[in-house]
Amino acid sequence: MSYITKVNIFNYKCFKGLFSLDFNDGVNIIVGNNEAGKSTILEAIHLALTGLLNGRYLRNELSQYLFNNIVTQEYLQRVNEGSDATPPYILLEVFFKGSDFPKLEGNGNSNRVKAQGVSFKILFDDNYREEYEELVKNELKTIPIEYYKIEWKSFARETITARSIPIKSVLIDSAANRYQNGSDIYISKIIKDNLNDKQKAEISQAYRKVKDVFMDEEAIKNINNQLIKNSDISDKKVMVSVDLSTKDAWETSLMTYLDEVPFHQIGKGEQCIIKTNLALAHKKSKEANLILIEEPENHLSHTKLNEFVHNIVNKCSDKQVIITTHNSFVANKLGLENLTLLHNQKQTKFSELDPETFDFFKKLPGYETLRLILCEKAILVEGDCDELIVQKAYMEAHNGRLPIEDGIDVISVGLTFERFLKIAEKIGKQVAVVTDNDGDVESLNEKYAPYVGDSKSIKAFYDTVVDTGDLTIGKDKKKFNYNTLEPKLLKVNSLDSFNKIFGTKHTKIDDMHKYMKNNKTNCALKIFESTIKIKYPEYITSAINWCDEE
Amino acid sequence: MKNNKLMISAAGSGKTTYLIDEALALPKEEQVLITTYTEANEAEIRSKILKKKNCIPSNITIQTWFSFLIQHGVRPFQGSMNDELWDNDITGMLLVEGRSGKKYDKNGKPLIINGHPIYWEKDNFKKYYFTTNWKIFSDKLSNFVEECNTLTNGAVISRISRIFSHIYIDEVQDLAGYDLELIKLLFKSKSTILLVGDPRQVTYLTHHSIRNKKYRDGKIKDFLIENCKSLLSEDSIDEETLKKSHRNNKEICDYASKLFEGIYEKSEPCSCDSCRKKNIEHAGVFIVRQNDVDEYLKKYNPVQLRWNRQINVNENYSVYNFGESKGQTYDRVLIYPTSIMINWIKDNSFDFKRTKNGKQENIIGVREKFYVAITRARYSVAIVYNFSDDEKIEGVQKLKL
Repeated sequence: MSYITKVNIFNYKCFKGLFSLDFNDGVNIIVGNNEAGKSTILEAIHLALTGLLNGRYLRNELSQYLFNNIVTQEYLQRVNEGSDATPPYILLEVFFKGSDFPKLEGNGNSNRVKAQGVSFKILFDDNYREEYEELVKNELKTIPIEYYKIEWKSFARETITARSIPIKSVLIDSAANRYQNGSDIYISKIIKDNLNDKQKAEISQAYRKVKDVFMDEEAIKNINNQLIKNSDISDKKVMVSVDLSTKDAWETSLMTYLDEVPFHQIGKGEQCIIKTNLALAHKKSKEANLILIEEPENHLSHTKLNEFVHNIVNKCSDKQVIITTHNSFVANKLGLENLTLLHNQKQTKFSELDPETFDFFKKLPGYETLRLILCEKAILVEGDCDELIVQKAYMEAHNGRLPIEDGIDVISVGLTFERFLKIAEKIGKQVAVVTDNDGDVESLNEKYAPYVGDSKSIKAFYDTVVDTGDLTIGKDKKKFNYNTLEPKLLKVNSLDSFNKIFGTKHTKIDDMHKYMKNNKTNCALKIFESTIKIKYPEYITSAINWCDEE
Repeated sequence: MKNNKLMISAAGSGKTTYLIDEALALPKEEQVLITTYTEANEAEIRSKILKKKNCIPSNITIQTWFSFLIQHGVRPFQGSMNDELWDNDITGMLLVEGRSGKKYDKNGKPLIINGHPIYWEKDNFKKYYFTTNWKIFSDKLSNFVEECNTLTNGAVISRISRIFSHIYIDEVQDLAGYDLELIKLLFKSKSTILLVGDPRQVTYLTHHSIRNKKYRDGKIKDFLIENCKSLLSEDSIDEETLKKSHRNNKEICDYASKLFEGIYEKSEPCSCDSCRKKNIEHAGVFIVRQNDVDEYLKKYNPVQLRWNRQINVNENYSVYNFGESKGQTYDRVLIYPTSIMINWIKDNSFDFKRTKNGKQENIIGVREKFYVAITRARYSVAIVYNFSDDEKIEGVQKLKL
């Protein structure tokens, strides 16, 4: 069995310069925001292994849009300024594990190491140097893609074809790629991959026979005779027949049926499940199999998704699966140790986090885990009450929009701020911590010092003033904590407005303190739901303002 | 346990057929490389396999030695040889005669000092190994491969031996210099090596390197014995199996063997019924005078063999250069000998050495090409030589028409 261990992507689509991603043998989950480049990674791997982009051979359909936009712009600027006119190139490299394919072994890769693998390069064709020289004398508006070629080589620098690549990849994405007759390209490919050479020959011969039978049919003969006689149509002999023009004509003409329903008529979700199951069931022992799945949650109900994930877990033992998702359920089910986070083209593997942090996330219930990763910015708070108040503060500052609508997630993390900060630090995620000072500003300063700083993406917000008072609680006269959310809120608002919001009639501040302490959640909910505007402590408004910064 | 072999063969012994049969007998999952120096012989191997099978089996790869070296020796790890080779493709090979990499002056003429041309040394990597557009010089190819293998701790040979479990080299006598070092490395590798060749038929040399100069004239056997002793088993060197000629008759075998008397064992005709036709008119080795050539051609229709295109022949009859005729079989041949060959015809003790700049040196290739020419024929060999009636000439019959 062989697997891919690494992909290098250079100047392709959203990746400017070199982007590199490592894989493990079994299941790999790539999690990231939209636009993070998840689909592009799958697309690039599939392209390098099959030569196919969107189900078509790229060779005949090169386009300047394959190039990273910034790379293109920089190149055009250089050319038009009259400086370096070297045309940019795209490079995709896929590394294979082990030593089973010596033919693909060599150091012809950008890491300059001995390895087995393939490289797919879209580059300027030197045969057009003269034409190019002429071209750059005038202003250039696009990359001169008509002078580009594809070089598809093994790491031994030998030109290869899809046939000589031992790892067969299947891409299961949400886009519908069909042949003209409507049959699905991928399903055909998967079925074809499952057939051996003899079966392939048999199917194409059977298809030829169909043509003969068709032509022998009395009705067809009559029609053709009539067509031939009707010389108005053309000088040449006009006949109807079955299309056999391409080598694998059956592929484009035969339709896959499911319970006698054409495959493309089935729901998208079902299609996704069937494609995946077919790929998982692939039995050619000689060929490794790589299954690339793009966001399976898009078309599946929760139950179907469950079934789908269950299948992958149980059947992928000898297959490598790379799956992109932003569904935390999928990610958790398939195992956090297989998770790679993608953010601003930086990757973090969960398995590389320190063991304690990793264990912590493993124990967290599904949904919580990925919120931090998938949002644009996060505000970490201690508890549910803080969450509600911060949300409300945000809404008031943003015409009633919830923070999540702006990609800002307020996450209640209890006492585990540092765990989340470790991940945030790794992936460079913008995170604000909003917390009580509990009367000890010094220790907070100390606690967050390693995470905050001008160059860091993390900021901690807490009140730097320590409030004091005489109030005590209960029989044992425990001192009241003036440095939590509720007293801080009360400090900047009037007793009157809180009485209105809570429907209470407290006349003493201390009574209100006690009431709010004993009814924390209730109070927070009332504030959240109330139409009465309140004031917020300075540290909370600062955090909200921070959200608006770029 | 793998068993590497060198099979020394006689002309017409069917060595290529032997090698092909060995390859075809291998199980389908064993990958075998068949390689040889010349494109002509590569084509010959291909067509011989196609006569036995309707297509080349998928486990058999046929390549010339040069193309094999570029694909599997040079390119996979070229970057390890020099940083320039990470970003530059090696575009092919330039076949050179003599030593490559001469230095040139401003006017593009070779630099000559004390009557000798000056060459780039290895410290100028690019100019030593390559043309300006990155074609590698043929004479440095195997040297490049050997060094690349050393620099990569054997990665080059290890890769090759994992691709091909068997490597068969035909006409191995054509390999020389650093090629022999590669053979040594292949002998040490996991692949099973079969070398087949006739040391008497050295008509091409892969290069004129000073490396392994003493094994230059087809002395592959000596090389193996002196350099690869520990890699050989008792039956590694086989001079028996392919000793008999299925082509030449006894007179031709005898006359050809005389060329290498005391150096190599005499070759013998086979005794297969299918090879030996009875009652052949005009069989043996003859000399004919220039004036009788046209009539001789008319009467016996032999194939004419000559040194090169400068030699005048009767263009109405088929003609080949000695080198081109290698591997071919004809019923009858008519040979136009060179003056050195005539020296030997007149006196069989002539030793093919000459004195140059006060030093004795071997005249490379003349004896070997003469041997090739003689051994092309099944029935008769005629040599054009204006003998006088009283001249005594050994081993041949004077023919007067």
